[in-house]
Amino acid sequence: MNISGSIWVWFSALLTLCILSFLYKDNPFYRFAEHLFVGTSAGYLIALSWHNTVYPNLYVPLIKEHQYLYVLPLFLGLLYLARFIPKFSSLIRIPIAFLLGWGSGVVIPAAIQTDIIKQIQGTLLTRNLFTRWDTAVWALIVLIGVISTLVYFFFSRERKGVLKPISNVGIVFIMLGFGASFGYTVMARISLLIGRLQFLLGDWLGIIK
Amino acid sequence: MKLGEKITKIPRQIIYLFMAAAIVFPLIVPIGMPINIMPQTKKLFDAIEALPPASKPVLISCDFDPQSMPELYPMLQAALNHLLSKNVKVLVMALWPQGAGMGEMALNEIAPVLNKKYGEDYVFLGYKAGAAAVILGLGDKIANVFPADYYNKPLSSFPLTAHLTNYNDLSLVLTLSAGTPGYREWLAYGQSKFGISVGAGVTAVSAADAYPYLGSGQLTGLFGGMKGAAEYETSLIKNGYKLLFRQATKGMDAQSLGHLFIMIFIIIGNLGFFMMGRKK
Repeated sequence: MNISGSIWVWFSALLTLCILSFLYKDNPFYRFAEHLFVGTSAGYLIALSWHNTVYPNLYVPLIKEHQYLYVLPLFLGLLYLARFIPKFSSLIRIPIAFLLGWGSGVVIPAAIQTDIIKQIQGTLLTRNLFTRWDTAVWALIVLIGVISTLVYFFFSRERKGVLKPISNVGIVFIMLGFGASFGYTVMARISLLIGRLQFLLGDWLGIIK
Repeated sequence: MKLGEKITKIPRQIIYLFMAAAIVFPLIVPIGMPINIMPQTKKLFDAIEALPPASKPVLISCDFDPQSMPELYPMLQAALNHLLSKNVKVLVMALWPQGAGMGEMALNEIAPVLNKKYGEDYVFLGYKAGAAAVILGLGDKIANVFPADYYNKPLSSFPLTAHLTNYNDLSLVLTLSAGTPGYREWLAYGQSKFGISVGAGVTAVSAADAYPYLGSGQLTGLFGGMKGAAEYETSLIKNGYKLLFRQATKGMDAQSLGHLFIMIFIIIGNLGFFMMGRKK
């Protein structure tokens, strides 16, 4: 056993224990650690945003290099604060409209390409997939899964006749998807606990290497 | 109180105690359960392994924060260990503010041990806000997005970055992604638009969502959660690499035992529920 002599490791370990104490019940130690985390994160983010974004992208070009065109983005940014003045609050729509316009233009084509076109391509059966039996079987399962799930979410017609068994197959695939997601979520949460316990038992108490 | 009711009313603190014991015990006394390497991990490992020493640099994007450290930080350590041992040049950046801290810490842990020189073998670009704009901008001109490195030295002053233009000068992007922005943004704005190969290390929570992109070939390969990190570490050891850190592998016994206890509690809970239902 080799207990850490670093004050920061001790501080970190005690904060971890404060957070874990919530497992018993809500208490002032947990709330102290929670509020400290929120405050520290916000402060860190503000400092980082200033040094990485506002200072190099606005302050330097506008104030040091005298590129006065940068007044425009500054003005648009300041309009976000109009929200706090009831008389001018509607002005916030201008930067939001600008951001929505830019965002939609960037996001929509990318989303169609990434999440629709390439995913449909990935679902299509091609000759290459049938050169090996295992890839052929998986390709067929994927195709059946995609079509039956889409049929399940087809609400324009009553689920009867041929649509009923197909949508039932879709439910099986959806449940498999939920099961996989749940299993992975459990794994993620345990991983986080392992990480903290590795820190407490290793870095802090020195019981494990 | 009937047995079924007793079972369903086990205090949650007791369950937590069992879980804590299931995880602490294998951490102190390792069992050494085998780690099977899944195809998606092998694909990404093979893609990195296939890079020759003189290949174009690899860009690692630390798109995570300390909360996802147990899952993604071992991947970062293993990837740096792998690439720098192979003499492949590395650029490290972050789309998450706290990711910059993660990247810097991992580089400081690994690069000096492997005798790698800053500016020649690796460069740390730091964090840049505006994920979509950053990824699109890198496809146009890297120096426009990152005129200087994290320490404010111009990229033109380093032998590694002086002649880098855009994605054409990179061999692979490896994003270690805990959410948004993350691998989806790299696929949407980097892979789809510019055709750069993208490999991803993701938290287990988002692993199931990433599989469709793997199946369609958009992702080069995938490390999923701590298990993915442990598989990567195991692949490196099997291929003769000297690994400086094996944090994920050490956690896998605890992971397996934790899962076993959760399965047992799910069965017990359902059994109790079933018994209560039968009585009614």
